[in-house]
Formats: sequence, C-alpha cells, structure tokens
Amino acid sequence: MEVRDQVRGCLLIAYRDLLRFWKFKHWLFSQIVMNLADVVIFALVFNNIVNRQYIPDYVKFMSTGVLAVSVFASSFSIAREVGAEIRREVVQYLLTLPTSRNAVIAGRIIGGTLRGLIYQTAFIALNLAVVGIPSPKQSVIILYTSFMLAAAMSALAIAITTSTRDFNLQATFRALTYYMLFFFSNVFYPREVLALRFPGALATIVTHTPISLAAEVYRWSFGYSEYINPTALYELTLWAFTLLVTASLLYRRNISGR
Amino acid sequence: MAAVKIVNFVKRFGEVTAVNNLNLEIYEGEIFGLLGPNGSGKSTTLLTIATVYKPTSGDIYVFEHSVSREGDTVRKFVGIAFQEPKAMWVDTPYELLLWHAMIVGYTSHEAKNVVKETMERLNLWEHRKKQFYQLSGGTRKKLEIAKVMIQRPRLAIFDEPTAQVDVITKHALWDVVREMRDNGSTVIVATNDMFEAEKICERIAIMYRGELRTLGSVKELKDQVPGGDVVEVSFEGDREEAKDALLKLDGIGRYMLGNDKIVAYLNKGEERAAEIVSALMSAGIKVKRIMVQEPTLDDVFFYFTGARLGEG
Ligand SMILES: Nc1ncnc2c1ncn2[C@@H]1O[C@H](COP(=O)(O)OP(=O)(O)OP(=O)(O)O)[C@@H](O)[C@H]1O
Ligand SMILES: [Mg+2]
Repeated sequence: MEVRDQVRGCLLIAYRDLLRFWKFKHWLFSQIVMNLADVVIFALVFNNIVNRQYIPDYVKFMSTGVLAVSVFASSFSIAREVGAEIRREVVQYLLTLPTSRNAVIAGRIIGGTLRGLIYQTAFIALNLAVVGIPSPKQSVIILYTSFMLAAAMSALAIAITTSTRDFNLQATFRALTYYMLFFFSNVFYPREVLALRFPGALATIVTHTPISLAAEVYRWSFGYSEYINPTALYELTLWAFTLLVTASLLYRRNISGR
Repeated sequence: MAAVKIVNFVKRFGEVTAVNNLNLEIYEGEIFGLLGPNGSGKSTTLLTIATVYKPTSGDIYVFEHSVSREGDTVRKFVGIAFQEPKAMWVDTPYELLLWHAMIVGYTSHEAKNVVKETMERLNLWEHRKKQFYQLSGGTRKKLEIAKVMIQRPRLAIFDEPTAQVDVITKHALWDVVREMRDNGSTVIVATNDMFEAEKICERIAIMYRGELRTLGSVKELKDQVPGGDVVEVSFEGDREEAKDALLKLDGIGRYMLGNDKIVAYLNKGEERAAEIVSALMSAGIKVKRIMVQEPTLDDVFFYFTGARLGEG
C-alpha cells in the first residue's frame, strides 16, 4: 500500500474520532467542571491542605494544573469509544476498510492526541489571561509537553482498553487508572504537601507520573513557579514512547487475535 | 482468475468449529449465493474473506492474494455489508456514509454527491440526520447496503442484505447487485431468502454445519433432488392401465393415482414429459393436459440440509 494512502487512511481515522469527540464536548466539559468542583470543595473542607505557605496563589496554581488535567481527560476519552467499538463489534467495520492495521492503530492514537490538544487550547487561553505570558522558548516547551502528554494519555487509554477481552475488567482498569492518575498527582497539591501526605516512595512516584511532570512544566513555563525538574521533558518523552509502543502492540493483538 | 478461492478453510472459535474444511471457488464477474441454515458458517466465511477473522487453517485467496498474509492488498478489493449493522449510537447516517465514502477513496466533494445520490436511491435521505439508535432495523440494514453501493468494490459482499428490509428496497438492491456485476464486480450474497437466491444468484453453495453440501446453478441443484419434479397428467381412460403404463418407465418414484389424474415424482420432469405422454398414448389413454413443476429452492434446501422433502 502506498505511503500516501496509508497517511490518508490514518488521518481519516483520526478525523472520525474528532467528529465523535465533538458530540461529547458537553459531557467532557461537565466532567472537568465536576472534577474542579471536587477540588474546590475539598479545599474548603480541608482548609489546612491549601496552605498559603505552600500555595501562594491557589487560582494560578490550579489553572496551570488544570492544563494537564484537560489534556488527560480529553485524550483519555478515546478509551470509551475504542472499548465500546470492540464490545459492539463496530471495530469489525474498521478492519474491513481499505487501510492497513497500522493506519487504524496510529489513527486512533492520533485521534486521542488531537482531542487532548484541541480541548486544551481553551485552558491555554485561560492561563495566558490569569497566570502569565510565556517566552518563545517556553511556548515551544509548552507545546512539546502538551503533545507528549496527549500522546501518552491517548496511548495509555487504548492500552488499558485493549489489554483484556473482559469488558468488565476493562472498565474497572480504566476507571481505576483514571482516578489514580487524577488524584495521585501534583495537580491539586504541590510537591511539599505531597511529601507530607504520602510516605516517601509514593510521593516520589506521584511526582513522576506524566500528569505531574506536565503540570510542573506548565507551572514553570507560565511563570507561576521558579522550580522545574530538569529531566521532566525527558521523562515525559520516555513515558510517551513506552505507552505508544505498548498501546500499538495491545491494540493490534486485540483486533487481530481472532 | 477466480475472484475468491477457498482452500481447506477451517475456522474455530475455541471449542466451536464454525467452518470445517471448506473448498470453494467463486468466479470473477458472477453473482454467487451462499445459503445455509442459521449457524452454518456463512458469516464466518464472509468475515474471513473481508479479513476480520483469520483462518485457523487453510487459506482464502481474493484475486490470488492470501487473506492470511496479504490482508492490506485484499482489503483494497473488498467491500462488505454486514449482517449486523455496524455503528455507534451517536452516529448519523449522513456522517457515517460521508466518512465511508472518503475512506474508500472519494474526495470530499465527490463524496457528498455520491452519498446524496445513494441515500436518495435507498430512501434514506429523510433519515440522514437521525442518530443511529433512532433508526428502524430495516433502515440500519439499508445503511450497510449503501456503504457497498458507494464503494463499488471489485468484490462486493452482502451478508443477508434484505433480512428486515421492505420489498421496494429488495428490488432496488437486486437491481444494484446486477448493475455492479455488469460493471465488472463479483458479488457474494449470503441469504436465507430462497426467492432472492433464485432471483439473482447465478451459482449457489449450500452450507450445513460448517461444511459445503452442494454447489451449482439453481437448475443444477434442483436436478440433484431425487424425485424432485412433479409431473401431473390429466387423462381419459382406464386408470389401472394408465398406472401400468407409467410404472413401466424408469425412475418413477412415488406416485398418486386419481380417477382422471396421475401425479408422479421424478427427476428432470421437463425432459421426460414427452416420454410420459407417448407411453400413455400407446396404452390407449387420452392425455388431456400435462403439467410439470420443478421442486422449489426450499425443497433443495431441505434436501441438502438434512430435512426431508414435504410429503406428496
Ligand atoms: N465470534 C464468534 N465467537 C464464537 N463463536 C462464533 C463466533 N462467530 C460465530 N460463531 C459460531 O460459529 C458458528 C457459525 O456462525 P455464523 O455466524 O458463521 O453462521 P451463519 O451461517 O452466518 O448463521 P446465520 O444465518 O444465523 O447468520 C455458530 O455456531 C456460531 O455460534
Ligand atoms: Mg450470518
């Protein structure tokens, strides 16, 4: 098959996922609003958690954190459809189209990645207004980070969904991963608080998840924080590639194993 | 060149053997019917041709390309209308078909035209903006048919296309199938509708429990049913003499004798009608009327799938 056809097929598959995404925009928005509401309520109830000493400006702290969450939630949404399409055998349709399996797999991952990036633009605007204006170099870093995070989350979502043929197990894994990544991150608490709350090893792990890494980069790039983990970008890249490879292998096995 | 060549094809799902050592050749440019009771392996075979499943053993060649090893190439030739329509609930018919048109190679401008044309032909246009879950069963099936109409593949597969659809759509589909064939496509239709099979298929295979039972044109299949033709002769004269004259002939199976009518079951009834008439006449019986009825495809189906022919 010609490369041109492959690319076209792959982009059309991704485009299909974007069209679907558009239908779920309200769902996604409410999802994020709900998550944020949780955080605010949390903060009010456990007032001591949001300590001025650790978080000088809660609004700026949260806005930069939400940048990571928005990419995560929207890229991760690809999982539901990939899963539902396997369950309802709609995937059989994709398998008969005049494209290669690689184009299908790559298209889905790109679809998820684009969902994350597109959805994030609204929150980028929010940060520009509320937090600060990044330098050109920082802008490039932001772009790169978002891209890697979106790809990693899209791949993770697909990997989990295709890791087993048991649909209940799939849904459980997916929900578990979603909430683990969501709550065990530095999006809501800075690393100092994490260190107090979680035992040593766990606190370290939490700061090295893709979401925490990205949030840290965003906080630095928008000028909220002085600190940046010097290897954050490398770690994020490593996450992205590992997850991409895993997802491709699992998805392929899942759709062609029969 | 064979459009499809199925060689020692076996497909198992765990313990279940869905298809057991199938060998079959489908010629380029023909309309081929795949018949068989529920669960006989039709869909499994078609889905393997369309590269959804992989053969457990054996192989299938589509225009000489192996489905096991050259899936990418095979998919360029094949389009399939699934037995169970494939879509997510939020999808709308227009979007589905537009995207389908593009992925099978149309530019977005061409796609719009061909989709509208096809939807109008199948009376789908008014449903274009509904969500998939709002569509009736027949409308969903029409969407599957529309996909293949749009694609115009070299090998078009319809898996029970007219189950659930109205008679107008049936005729539209039959026209489409013939048009496709006239434009050079090979068409495979799996069906449980004997009328449909007889109407459009040039050759037919009957499967039973994952195995091929018989293969041939409708006429050939009917001739294989022993004692399948019904010859009914109305006469004037002695009924016992008429009976004796008839039984002297070869190959008369069952018969029924009335006062002025004799009904016999035999093969190739049409060819043997003259023989019967002359045998009766030379016995001094006056033949008033003779009628030959073929077995129906239902009879053929019953015969090859284990059920007995209806009692005379
Ligand atoms: N994905 C699957 N997993 C397990 N068993 C299957 C699967 N698909 C088909 N089978 C089994 O394989 C056999 C053949 O099924 P298939 O769908 O090919 O029959 P069919 O001839 O198309 O029947 P129908 O007329 O009902 O459509 C059946 O026993 C069915 O239960
Ligand atoms: Mg079937």
